Amino acid sequence: MTAISTAFGLVFDPTVLAVIMGSAIFGMFVGAMPGLTATMATALLVPVTFFMAPVPALGAIVTATAMAIFAGDIPAAMLRMPGTPASAAYADESYEMTKKGQLDLCMGVNLVFSVLGGIFGVIILIVLAPVLAEVAINFSSFEYFWLACLGLTCAVFIGTGDPLKGLLSLFIGLAIGCIGIDPAAGQPRFTFGNVDLLSGINFIPTLIGMFAVSELLRGAVTMEKGGHVVAQAVGSLMTGVGGVFKKYWFNFLRGSVIGTVIGALPGAGADIAAWVSYAVSKKTSKEPEKFGTGHIEGIVDSTSANNSALGGAWIPALVFGIPGDSITAIVIGVLYMKGMNPGPSVFLQTPELIYAVFIIFILANLLMFPLGWAAIKSAKQILRVPRNILLPIILIFCIVGSYAMTNSLYGVVLMVAMGVFGWLLEEHGVPVAPLILGLVLGEMLEQNFMSSMIKADGSLIGFLSRPIAGVLGVCTIVLWAVMIWKALPFGASRAAVDAKA
Amino acid sequence: MRRAGSPSQKAYPMRFNDAVVGTVFLLLAGAMIAMTFTFPPFPGQKYGPSLFPRIIGGGMILCSVLLMLREWRIGGRPWITLEDWTRRPARLASFALMLAAMVFYLLASEPLGFMPTAFLIQLGLFLWFGVRPLMAVIVATVMTIAVQYFFGTLMRVPLPRGILDSVL
Repeated sequence: MTAISTAFGLVFDPTVLAVIMGSAIFGMFVGAMPGLTATMATALLVPVTFFMAPVPALGAIVTATAMAIFAGDIPAAMLRMPGTPASAAYADESYEMTKKGQLDLCMGVNLVFSVLGGIFGVIILIVLAPVLAEVAINFSSFEYFWLACLGLTCAVFIGTGDPLKGLLSLFIGLAIGCIGIDPAAGQPRFTFGNVDLLSGINFIPTLIGMFAVSELLRGAVTMEKGGHVVAQAVGSLMTGVGGVFKKYWFNFLRGSVIGTVIGALPGAGADIAAWVSYAVSKKTSKEPEKFGTGHIEGIVDSTSANNSALGGAWIPALVFGIPGDSITAIVIGVLYMKGMNPGPSVFLQTPELIYAVFIIFILANLLMFPLGWAAIKSAKQILRVPRNILLPIILIFCIVGSYAMTNSLYGVVLMVAMGVFGWLLEEHGVPVAPLILGLVLGEMLEQNFMSSMIKADGSLIGFLSRPIAGVLGVCTIVLWAVMIWKALPFGASRAAVDAKA
Repeated sequence: MRRAGSPSQKAYPMRFNDAVVGTVFLLLAGAMIAMTFTFPPFPGQKYGPSLFPRIIGGGMILCSVLLMLREWRIGGRPWITLEDWTRRPARLASFALMLAAMVFYLLASEPLGFMPTAFLIQLGLFLWFGVRPLMAVIVATVMTIAVQYFFGTLMRVPLPRGILDSVL
C-alpha cells in the first residue's frame, strides 16, 4: 500500500503535472499535424526527458503518445489525411462521414471511444503486468534469450509488409548494436580507433535521425503538395454518441481486446491494431456493404483499438523489458540510459515507479477528454500552421536534441548519418522499426546469449532444458521454420512480390 | 511503422532494385565478419566477442542472398528507377537544402556559435520554402532565442557560444 501512496505522491507533484500537461498539448499538436507521427513526437521528446527524473520522463512519453494517437483522427476526418499512421485504417470512412455532414458525430465517437479504449488497455496492463512479473522473476538467461528472439521475430513477422526486408533491417540494427565495447569480454568492436564509437552508437541521435530527419527529407520534397486546407466547423460533439455506444458496445469491447493483444505483441503497434480491428469489424458486420460509405461501426472498433494498443504495448515492455512497439522501444532505451533495467525486478525493487506509470496512464486518458475536445474545436487553427514554417523548426529541435545527448557534434553527425541511412532504407522498402528494436535489444540479447552459451557449453539442448525456456524456444524455432519456408522462392512470399511489382 | 495508406509511402523517388540492395549489404556483412577475425578470444572461454557479430553477419548474408534471388526471379527491373521529383530542379534543391542545412550546422556551429547558426538555417529554409520575409525573420529570431533559453539555460546543454562569446 505504501508503494501506491508513494506513487500518487510522485505523480501529483506540481512539476510532474505541469510536464504531463505540456506534453499532452505537444502530443495533441504533433498528432493532429499530418505527416508528424506519434513516434516522431516521442523521438523529439526524448532529449527533453533525458534531463528529468524517471517519473516525469515516463509521464511525458505516455501522455504525448496517447494524445497523438487520438489527435491523428482529427485531420483524418476533416481532410482525409491521417495525422498519424494509426488513423490511416479509417481515414476514408471518417471522411465519408464528414461529407455526409456527420463530422460532429464522427469526432465525438472518435474522442469517446479513444478515451474508453485507452482506459481498457490500461486496465489490462494493470491486471496482467504484476501477475506476469511474478512468473518472469524466475527467468534465467535462457528464457530471456528466447523471449528476445521471439519478440524480434514477431516484430519482423507481423510488423512489416515484406518480412525478408524486415529481417534484414533487424540484422542491420543488431549489427549497429555491436559497435562499441562488447558486453561479455569488454573488447572494443568496429570502433576504428574512434573514441566516440567506443561508447557505442548513441541510441537517441539514431532515433531522431531515423524517425524525424528522414521524415524531414521526405517532407522537403513534398512541400508544394501540402497546399492549403479548409477545415470544417464543428458543432455539438456528444449528440448521438450515447446511441452509438448502446448499439455498438460489443464492437468497442472487441476492438479494445484486439488492440490490447496486438499492442502487446512485439513489433506491432497502434497502426496495425487499427487495420486488423477495422477488417474484423467489416467481416463480422451485419451490414458490411455500408463500410466505406461513412458508416460509424468500423470506426468504433478501430479507434478503440489503436488507443488500447498503447497500454498493451507496455505489458511486455514493463514485465520483460521487451518492447511491444517502436514507442515502447524508445521508452526502454530511455530507461536503460537512466540506469534502470526494465524487467520483473523493477516490480520488486521500485514498485512505486510501476504504479506511477499506471496512474499517469489513467490520468492521460482522462485528460484526453477535455484536451481532445479543445483540439477538435480549435482544429481549424492547428491545421492552418503551415508546414514550411514547421519543418525548419523541427530540424532545429532535432539538431539540438542530438547535440544534447553527447554534448558534442558527434551526436549531430550520428543524427545526420542515420537520417540519410534511414531515408535510403525506407526508399527501398526496408522498414526502420525492426532496426530500432534490434539496436535497443542487441546488447541484452548478446549478453543473455553469451551467458547461456557458456552455461550450456554450446549445446542447443541446454538452451531448451528448462521448461519455460523449452516452450519459448520451440515456439521461436517453429516460427523461424515458417519464415524460412515462406522466404523460399516457391513459398508464399511470391504473392507479396507480385503485389508489389 | 509505415503502412499502406500513409501519404508519403507511395513515392519511391530514387530506387535501386533489390539485387543492388542485396549486394551492398552482402559486402557490408562480409566486411563485418572479416573484421571479427582480428578480435582476441575471451580468455578461458570457448566463445569470444567475435561469435555474436558473426551470427548477425551470417543472417545479413542470408537475407541479402534471398533478396538477390528474389529480384533475379522477377527479372526485368532496371538497376535504378528515378522518380518524378528527381527531374524537378526545385524539389531536388529542397531536398539538397535540407541536407545542406545539417552539414552547415556541423561546420559552422563551433566557429559561429549556436544562435547565429540556428538563426541562419531557419531563415534560409523559411525563405526557400516561401515564407514571407518579415514572418521568416520574426519566427527565426523567436525560435532561436527560445531554443537557446530552454536547452542552453534551463537544461544546461553547453551549446557552442562562438562569436557571441564576448557579447553575451
